[in-house]
Amino acid sequence: MSEVRTSGTGAQASVPLVELTNISKRYGDIAACDNVTLSMYPGQIHGILGENGAGKSTLMKVLIGLVKPDAGAISMNGVVQNITNPQSAARIGFGMVHQHFSLVEELTVWENVLLGEELKFDRARARVLVGEIGERFGLTVNPDARIRDLTAGLRQRVELIKCLRHDPRVVILDEPTSVLTPAESEQLFPTLREKVAIEGRCVALVSHKLAEVLHATDVITIMRQGRVIEHHETHQTDAPSLARAMVGREVSLRSQHAVLGASFVSQSAPSESTSTTDATDVLQIADACVSLGGVSKLKNLNLGVRAGEILGLAGVEGNGQRELGDVLSSLLTLDSGLISIDGTIVRTGKPGSMSRAGIAVIPEDRHDSGVVLTMSVAANLALQRMVDFSHNGVIDEVLLFESAQQLIDEFEIRCDGPNAPLHSLSGGNQQRVVLARELSAKPKVLVAAQPTRGLDVGAIEFMSDRLERAAASGIAILLISSDLDEILHLSHRISVISSGTIVGTLSRQEATMEQLGLLMGGLAL
Amino acid sequence: MVCLYTLFIGIALIASAVLVWATGGDWRAVLPALINGSIAKPGRWGQTLTEAAPLLLVALGAIVATRMNLVNIGQEGQLLIGAASAAMIATRGSGIFILIFSILIGALGGAIWSSVAAVLKYWRKVPEVVSTLLMVFIATQLTGFLLTKKSLLLDRSADRPNKTQTSGQLAANTRLPYIHIFGNDISIAVPISVCIALIVVFLLNRTIWGFKLDMVGMNARVAQRFGVSERSAGIIALAIGGALAGLAGSFMFTSGTANYRYTPGFANNVGWEGLLVALVSRNQPLVAVVIALVFAGLRTGSSFLASTGIQREIVDVVRALLVLALLLPPAYVFLRGNLHRDKNRGGK
Amino acid sequence: MDPTIFASAFTPLLNIASSDTMYQSMIRFAVVLAFAAVGELVAERAGTLNISAEAMLISGAFTGAVVSDHTGHIAFGLICGMLAGVIVAAIQANLSHRLTIDQFVVGLTLNLFVLGLALFLDARFKPQTNVATKWRVPGLANIPIIGEALYGQPWPMYLILPTVGASWYLLFRTRWGLEVRAVGENPQSADVTGIHVNRRRRQSIYFAGLCSGLGGAVLVLAQIPINGFEAGHVGLKGIIAIGAVIFGGWTLRGTLFGCLIFGYFFALQQALPSIGYTINSQLSGALPYLAALAVTSIFAARTRQPRALAQPFIRGLT
Repeated sequence: MSEVRTSGTGAQASVPLVELTNISKRYGDIAACDNVTLSMYPGQIHGILGENGAGKSTLMKVLIGLVKPDAGAISMNGVVQNITNPQSAARIGFGMVHQHFSLVEELTVWENVLLGEELKFDRARARVLVGEIGERFGLTVNPDARIRDLTAGLRQRVELIKCLRHDPRVVILDEPTSVLTPAESEQLFPTLREKVAIEGRCVALVSHKLAEVLHATDVITIMRQGRVIEHHETHQTDAPSLARAMVGREVSLRSQHAVLGASFVSQSAPSESTSTTDATDVLQIADACVSLGGVSKLKNLNLGVRAGEILGLAGVEGNGQRELGDVLSSLLTLDSGLISIDGTIVRTGKPGSMSRAGIAVIPEDRHDSGVVLTMSVAANLALQRMVDFSHNGVIDEVLLFESAQQLIDEFEIRCDGPNAPLHSLSGGNQQRVVLARELSAKPKVLVAAQPTRGLDVGAIEFMSDRLERAAASGIAILLISSDLDEILHLSHRISVISSGTIVGTLSRQEATMEQLGLLMGGLAL
Repeated sequence: MVCLYTLFIGIALIASAVLVWATGGDWRAVLPALINGSIAKPGRWGQTLTEAAPLLLVALGAIVATRMNLVNIGQEGQLLIGAASAAMIATRGSGIFILIFSILIGALGGAIWSSVAAVLKYWRKVPEVVSTLLMVFIATQLTGFLLTKKSLLLDRSADRPNKTQTSGQLAANTRLPYIHIFGNDISIAVPISVCIALIVVFLLNRTIWGFKLDMVGMNARVAQRFGVSERSAGIIALAIGGALAGLAGSFMFTSGTANYRYTPGFANNVGWEGLLVALVSRNQPLVAVVIALVFAGLRTGSSFLASTGIQREIVDVVRALLVLALLLPPAYVFLRGNLHRDKNRGGK
Repeated sequence: MDPTIFASAFTPLLNIASSDTMYQSMIRFAVVLAFAAVGELVAERAGTLNISAEAMLISGAFTGAVVSDHTGHIAFGLICGMLAGVIVAAIQANLSHRLTIDQFVVGLTLNLFVLGLALFLDARFKPQTNVATKWRVPGLANIPIIGEALYGQPWPMYLILPTVGASWYLLFRTRWGLEVRAVGENPQSADVTGIHVNRRRRQSIYFAGLCSGLGGAVLVLAQIPINGFEAGHVGLKGIIAIGAVIFGGWTLRGTLFGCLIFGYFFALQQALPSIGYTINSQLSGALPYLAALAVTSIFAARTRQPRALAQPFIRGLT
């Protein structure tokens, strides 16, 4: 991220545009929002900062009509509003750009813009509309293109167009840069400032990234555990104080990195292991090529990971990381190229072949390929090792239970015992189950894809610690992450993936944010 | 929950009574006739139990497929193929070895028939709900064809009247034995089927194979990661379903359905009803044992309805209403829970 | 190559190709299939694999027969057939997309229930119908071979034209249709945008009920004079309609083409004896279904189905 801040004081009108008063929402015992009161002023970019689970998303869903609050009032221009569903929220003037896009891939841009509207179905008018809004806000996109053919940055533009088409008074962006390249992020914030906020609108920027919030907002509200903790003018605060407020205690340097999202380079390289002297690769990926639906996802990808090292694979999401993870999970077959472990070639796409060869995976989406939600914790902890818990094909429940209890203790998994269904565990604990299972198989290689995404600070610390210990014990670790700070913090070497191929590999000492940013953007050094 | 079940069953029964009354029948006569026909009159118990065996087997096969989220609704056809295959072998020979052999061939025939649908699913992405269903009709036609040729299934004996298309009759020493208790004849297919049910329960819940099946059904990608191929598991699950349905057919033939002859319309809806048994028992094999008995009771009971002047088909209606009655309570409970949650979210 | 062999293979083909009864019966079968398939297409684009199409056809056929027999008017029979289809649709729609019972379970139960009910009531009422009068388009109906088939059918058959037109318009030229298509592809996104996912799915099933109910009524009132309704006439055509939708890659044009092809096979089965091929009636009876299976197998792998097909939508669980 460049050093030029686009934040400013913002024209502070004296009358707030939007006021939230004592908004509360409980889900069972948990207060997602607890007496939240805040005000937004026109022409301001208002950052809402907090960890995952702090309540920011729920608050925004209340504004947008997807969630009905238990108590509290929302008023626009001093008049209390009754928001019942997304359409009424849109009428009142709230618009949201969703984190996980709300677009239908098979349809075209103009069809998606019409979706959910109360407009007449008119192709010509819709296309003209797309063009008009595009021009007005600097968001040009081809109205006839199919969503599935567009990049993440363009898709976000369509989302913005959908949102802005209602001429909203308040534009809410939920973690907008999580899927963008640094270059695309750079484009987004000036657009927000110059085109959107200028017209007297209010922009709410929901994020957990400190740097982003410091960079682009006028005021910041910090939330923790459903409550508003602090409220600052952006230029009057800095990263460490924000981090403290966000987390509520002195944050250790290690996890501070994870939380800060800061654009400074940490001085301490990973302390445990010095440069690994063992130079032979345990995991070797040679000329891997994969195409899906005619689109090339991996193009002659070459990668090698050594025993005891953590190789960080940096890159913006969508450049082939998921496909690489799938290949290493036996879920995808290579069109060409080889994967080998200690020199032995492993067949791709064959059920269980990677796992048997000693490759463990913590997948980026655990619900997709990491856990079976409806099975018990014990079953999930033993998925690939059931043979060890059976005699002649019959499962030994007692053995299974005991082994599960051991792992639960060792990895501090909070649950109602080994027989609890997995879906009753929180996200962080589910991730611990995955980690415990993968490590207990004594693998040679561990692939960790976005391992700390969505976790709170404590869980991040735990995960990072375990990864380092695993490396110290000789396992070759491939850390795939789009979080540069995580990469910088943990890796011994860093490779960057862009458009399905490795564009550069640096050692930890050599790597700077700028170099990595360039590589991630697809530019060679 | 029990209240809900009783309530819905009651509604189903009342609706059936209304239907009979509205079409001019004597609704009071229905229940006594059914009870007489299924259990009350002498010898009927045994008949009901014997009819329950194939229903149970078909249901077990359906349950195995459902554990893997597969929709196999072709049991009626698989049953026909099983019965016809068994008949072709058994009517050509005699003795206990032929008997056992023909039963096994029947199971194999059913397995092959359902495997066709499995192969089409994994090779050509044909939804198995469509292929298994189409193959029922093809099976009906095919077995009908077999009955037209003496070289295949048609009765070869000289004293067969020209018009009837049936197979030869099974020789007396090639028939499944019966157990005689308290004046009732119960085919040994019954205890065999119950044993198979117990084996299925054991395999599904206590073995690694059952665990793998569950894994594939709940999350195929996780299963793929750890060495279980969705394709092979699916083909095996469908094949087992077909084998059990085919076995049901062979049992039906060798224990005396249609007087030990294979006739057109041999299956007599046992395949469809076995499916319903599985649905109603919510895929629990042991519950299926009980439900199979209930449905068998409806079948045997219905034969006593003729004397009351009410068409037999009313039983189909009653049965379908009962199925709905038994499916609704859990759905209702789930919905109530969901509505509660939706209100919190401002949902629609 | 011996020319007489060539001729002996060629002649029957020529006979079939030039037989106007062949085309007439092909169109007859195709039209009934099309009624069901067009409705089914809308339901499947919204994400429901609606196997109760069979029950809808049966209910439409039976109700059409009874009402027209009772009132003496074919038009009433057609309308009541449509209503019967809607009633079946109501059960399927609400049990699957409101009460979240598995859609295959509901469809199967409905098929069995409606069939049993129809047979039961038929034994009591024994409706009798006659075929509706033909509308011959003067001039065009005289075109050799295909004229009678296309322009000389009993008038209810022509109702397929507005039905196809209505579904095309609904699906591709209205906002409702756009939402229906979105719901079948990505119900989560549609939900977030404020679309009532399950409501659209239910509505699409109602539409399917209208079309299939009408199709069933057309079957008994415009094709086969009956003396007592016989369920065998419907004979799994609802399921074959699903095959046509798959064959057509879930597009309207493809679906209609599929109906023509399947109609051809049904007609062929009937026509074979008249051109001198005496195949055992059982085997020839299997022919259309074998063909349906084969055709579906060839095309299912090549086309892209609506991504959320047969996946129930429960908010928050995905």
